[in-house]
Amino acid sequence: MQRKTFYGFSAPSLVMMAALMAFPLIMSIWLGMNFMTFRNIQNPEFIWFRNFGEVLTDVQFWQSMRFTLIYMAVTIPIQLGLGFAIALLLDQVTRLRGLFMAALLLPFIVVPVVGAMLFRSMFDPSGIITWFFRDILDQKFYFTEGSIKAVIIIHALWYITPFVVVVLFAGLQSLPSDQIEAAEVDGAKWYQSIRYVVIPHLRSLFLFISLMLIMDAYRVFDSVFILTGNNPIFKADTVQVYNFEVGLQVQRLGKANAMAVLTVIGVLIVLIPFLIITYRNQIAERE
Amino acid sequence: MRRTRNPFIRAGIYLALSLVAAYSIFPFLWTSLQSIKTVRDANSRTPLWFFEVTWENYSTLWLESTPENLTTLSLTLLVIIGAVVTAMVFAERLPIPRWVVYWMGMAVFAFILWQIPRIVDTAEFYDYFLNTVIVTVGTLIVSITIGCLAGYALARYGGIAGAIILIAALAFRALPRLAFIFPYLWIGQVTGLINTHLLLIVTLVAINQPFTIWMLRSFFRDVPRELEESAMVDGASRLTAFRKVVVPIVWPGIISTSLFTLLLAYNEFLLPRVLTQTNWTLPVAISQFAGGEDPAHITLAAAGAVSITLPIIFVIIFFQRQLVRGLAAGAVKG
Repeated sequence: MQRKTFYGFSAPSLVMMAALMAFPLIMSIWLGMNFMTFRNIQNPEFIWFRNFGEVLTDVQFWQSMRFTLIYMAVTIPIQLGLGFAIALLLDQVTRLRGLFMAALLLPFIVVPVVGAMLFRSMFDPSGIITWFFRDILDQKFYFTEGSIKAVIIIHALWYITPFVVVVLFAGLQSLPSDQIEAAEVDGAKWYQSIRYVVIPHLRSLFLFISLMLIMDAYRVFDSVFILTGNNPIFKADTVQVYNFEVGLQVQRLGKANAMAVLTVIGVLIVLIPFLIITYRNQIAERE
Repeated sequence: MRRTRNPFIRAGIYLALSLVAAYSIFPFLWTSLQSIKTVRDANSRTPLWFFEVTWENYSTLWLESTPENLTTLSLTLLVIIGAVVTAMVFAERLPIPRWVVYWMGMAVFAFILWQIPRIVDTAEFYDYFLNTVIVTVGTLIVSITIGCLAGYALARYGGIAGAIILIAALAFRALPRLAFIFPYLWIGQVTGLINTHLLLIVTLVAINQPFTIWMLRSFFRDVPRELEESAMVDGASRLTAFRKVVVPIVWPGIISTSLFTLLLAYNEFLLPRVLTQTNWTLPVAISQFAGGEDPAHITLAAAGAVSITLPIIFVIIFFQRQLVRGLAAGAVKG
């Protein structure tokens, strides 16, 4: 394809991304250097990097960053392991497979806000978990800093694991059966086949899924925002939730922009090695 | 993997999968039950499994005042929708061209949506529903149109610029939403576009564009170049060859991508939450019920949750294969 035709075809999309992704990113650096609330949004006060310094010394920011990292470190390995196990089980059955798949897909593609609300309603005074704790375990369920974090993590397992299942299940379908048979002829036990044949086959998929999970866990917002009920006594804010609060509830728009820029820098540092690998692959692929 | 034949292990596998499935859908089942209870039953301290069924929560949610002939009206509506959907599903067997059936079906739906507030006294929730439909459909059309063009160009162009654009798109896709949304908020405030459908559609298209072009590119790459090249030898322009030859082949892939775009726009919470003040979409509207300790809200929230989830269940039932293919394509080829 000629260069001119290429730019002709991709122009609308490129203009869109340049105007509404690249440009806002640069703009948020400038906005972050202003003292700005909703009141003086038309003529903000330029204060250089003071907002950035304020974010970096903000105890609550680091608290939210710590919880985000804990959230990632706990949920991602469990999602990968659990998802792989369910995908293997799903691969073993043919009957009712569509039904199981449909049931798994539901929490994954339902509106995240609704999924979180359904989860939260089980902890209401009339909720089924509250009842379980009171009438079966004979103790009261409280939302504390610890228990709300546990609920957030259990909810994350509930709605993200299906993504891992579906992708790995699709990968299992392309597994060459002769390799498994060869391993079995050589006397491999089932766990040995999984360890030495299946997992190597799915390696690139595991990498892809991990990258997606890391990206999405780092910027998790909807579910935490709903589950904490936006209640300041529950110190279970993730970075994004805290960033939102600073911007729209405290109404420090400049500081919120500075924080957004810093979180972007944080994720880019993690991402750069992967971006380089992808770039090399793309260059190598060209004919 | 080879399937095990041991009946006990097989029974165990089915049991485990059933438990996983039950765990996945239990919150939905429970909420559906809550949505058809009276406020008193729903707030019962011990969960009630048998109770008197009421549809009042749904009518309170959707309607300002309940007309007397509500049952007749809803039945008529159901029959019309059923007829249109049936016609669209079996469009190939009808004597008129397929695209005529599809366009007529869409026109009927639009007409119904537009007419309902004139026949019954709808509540605010219906306005939020309409907002969601407008924003979702607008995003879908714009995003897929420009995404197809760019995805095709990126699949065919060998220059360095193509690789750089793809990498930039991948990086954009990873970034937290708020880095874009705060500048959007500022733009919206300064230009006065805040609270409009236009701003929501344009920003949703932009935010989903990286995902869309990556996915569509992976589908376009599977089409052999010879097909469009032979059409171009026969005198067709690149655009004609693209429209008449390539797009029909990639159509299943386009449908898969459209489904994900649809879900992304429909599910989006943060963007409309920040960029609208009154013109909410459904996720923003229902989040107002969340965390409310008001017992009267429990049944309304449940009815709202079920109402929002029904279209999703519809998508799973009719498009499960396309969903799974889309997820697999994004992973295996991306």
